[in-house]
This record gives sequence, C-alpha cells and structure tokens, in this order.
Amino acid sequence: MRKFVAFNLMVLALLSCVPITQANGDGFGDVVKLIEQFYHVKHQGIPLLARAGVKTATTVARISGGRRRQLAEAGSVRVAYFEDQDFSANGGYTGFKSSMNALLVGWTPLIQVASLKDGEQTYIYIRDAGAKFNVMVVTIDQRDAFVVQMNLSPQNLAKLMRDPDEMGQTITSEATDDDQ
Amino acid sequence: MKSLAKTPLKLAALIVFVVLGVNVTASAQNPRISTAQLDGLASKATETVDLNLDESMMQLAARAFSGEDPDEIKIKDLVNHLKGIYVKSFEFETAGQYSDSDLESVRSQLRNSAWKKIFSASSKKEGGVEVYLMQIGAEITGLALLASDPKEITVVNIVGPVDLQKLSELEGHFGVPILDIDLANPKRKNQDRQE
Repeated sequence: MRKFVAFNLMVLALLSCVPITQANGDGFGDVVKLIEQFYHVKHQGIPLLARAGVKTATTVARISGGRRRQLAEAGSVRVAYFEDQDFSANGGYTGFKSSMNALLVGWTPLIQVASLKDGEQTYIYIRDAGAKFNVMVVTIDQRDAFVVQMNLSPQNLAKLMRDPDEMGQTITSEATDDDQ
Repeated sequence: MKSLAKTPLKLAALIVFVVLGVNVTASAQNPRISTAQLDGLASKATETVDLNLDESMMQLAARAFSGEDPDEIKIKDLVNHLKGIYVKSFEFETAGQYSDSDLESVRSQLRNSAWKKIFSASSKKEGGVEVYLMQIGAEITGLALLASDPKEITVVNIVGPVDLQKLSELEGHFGVPILDIDLANPKRKNQDRQE
C-alpha cells in the first residue's frame, strides 16, 4: 500500500512538470458558433451574400483569391459575416473574451482591444502551422461582426506585426475588399 | 545512517518537495509578471488593450525590420533578443474606477528581491510612472512599467535581455507607449520630476 501511495505521489510530482496539451479544433467554426451562442445571432457566409446581390459598405464580392489580394495565401481565406444584429447583449467584452480564450486552445491571443464607448471589439489570434501561420481576426461592433481566418507567410505576418493596432483592420479589409 | 531516499514514500515526498521548491524559485526570478488580476477592470473601462507578443512572435516580428536602415537595425537587434512584450491598458470615462489594490496586485510581484525600482515619478495632474528592472548578475532579464493616472492604467512587461540604451527605439512599436523617460539615465533626464 505504501509503495502504491509512493508511486502515485511520484507520478503526480512528475506530471506537475509536464505542460498539459490539448487537441486543436477548427478555430474558425468554433468561434463562429461561439458568437452565435453568446450573442444569440446568426452568421451569413460571404458567398451567400454575394450570390444574393447583398451589398453594404463593407461587404464583398470575392473571398478566395483575387487580383488585389496581397497578403493571404490563395484559397486560404474564410469569412463569416454577421450583419445588422444586436451585439450589445450578454455581458459584452469580458465574458466573450474569456469564452474565446478558453475555446481557442493552441492559438496565441496576440492582441485584444475593446472600446466600450464605440461598442467595438477586435481580437487577433495566431497559430503556427509549419511553414505558414493561421491568423484569425474577430471584429465586433454594435450591429455587425466579422470572423476572418487566413494563412499568412511569416514575411507577411511580420510586416503586419510592425503595427499590431492596424493589423485587424488590414486583415479584415484584405479578406473583404471588393476586387472590382 | 539510513538514507532518506531508501524508502519509496520518503523518496516521493522528496521529489514533490524538490519540484515545488524549483517552481517557487523559478517564479521568484521569472520576469513575466501576471496582470490577469486586472482583467476585472475591463467591464468598467471605456478602452481596453491586451497585447501579448511571446518569444516566437518576437522572432517573427524581428523579420519585419530591414537590415539596412540604421534605425531599423537597432530595433531588429533589440527585438531579436527579447522573449516577450506584454502590454495591458485600461482607460476609464471618469476617475475612481480603479483602486490602489488593483495597482498593488501588480506592485506586490515587483517587490521581491529580483526586481529593482529604477524610476518613479508622480504628480497629481499626470499620475505616476514606476519602472522596475529584473537583473540576474550583470544581465537585465526583464522590465516592468506601471503607469497610472486617475483615468488610465498601463502595464508594460518586457521579458528578455533589455538594452536600456536601445529601449526607447521600441516606444511606439508593438504597443509600447511613448514613455518620455531616458531609462539608461533616468535620474538625470528626469530631475524635474518628483522622485
């Protein structure tokens, strides 16, 4: 019995030195689902909006590669858009930030900015994917939200990191600019 | 004499003790300070910024600076050696939204012997700035800056070998605020401030 207790104590001691790792999920889909559940909203896929001829100031025609695309790896861009819905509910920034950080295991939260005055939130997460990086940007304002995920080369990500404040805007514009 | 390590129970206890002891020593000399206890202020703040650049991100960021421009060479060299930059700031609409105990939660970590306060200035109008360095031997291994005024708190934590002569080059980059302090010679440069 003493040996058993001793063995368990040793295992416990050794385990306390080992970092716990968890499997990565599909960050993009998880975040879209979290926004839907947290704010009780529904997302639209950009292609659907484009097919339906919906056009707003920030909406988009093409998402998967185009003439003006400068940063993202071709075909890697994923966008979900939440248009004209209420993002003021449910505790706002603090609760949402904690939920998202808990959800995105394996991603590094690079920058998280919130302006309660303007009702705006921006989150940027990065995940090392070998020769490239997965970057996810979540922007939420009072009535609209975007989730953008794309693959970036280390060089392009480095360029963006010179000014992290502008990074979210640049990536979202990159993913949603009309190529016309 | 009977060896302590001869019985399995005592051996296990020894391992637990050593592991816990190593962790305590390591955390006392860890230049990464925790600011999670300030997160509750976000619900009262009008603007919140939380920037985390860990070592891998720092190495990546260093690639953004050219190896030709003299100013960029300085930043690149500085960034290349750093292990992290962490910035957390809160802005409030009105004064009185945070308390001394919020600041104390950060200061208490900087009170251990590994940290040394190198600069402190305060005024009723402009608030206060405190700068701390962690030094192991001759090498600076971390910097912590705590700036507060009645409507704002900013905590900057730089982890890694910090070159104070070059540190001002980082101001305005990677979320590091413009400090207006000559950290390499703080007393002389800031003699008009209250120490």
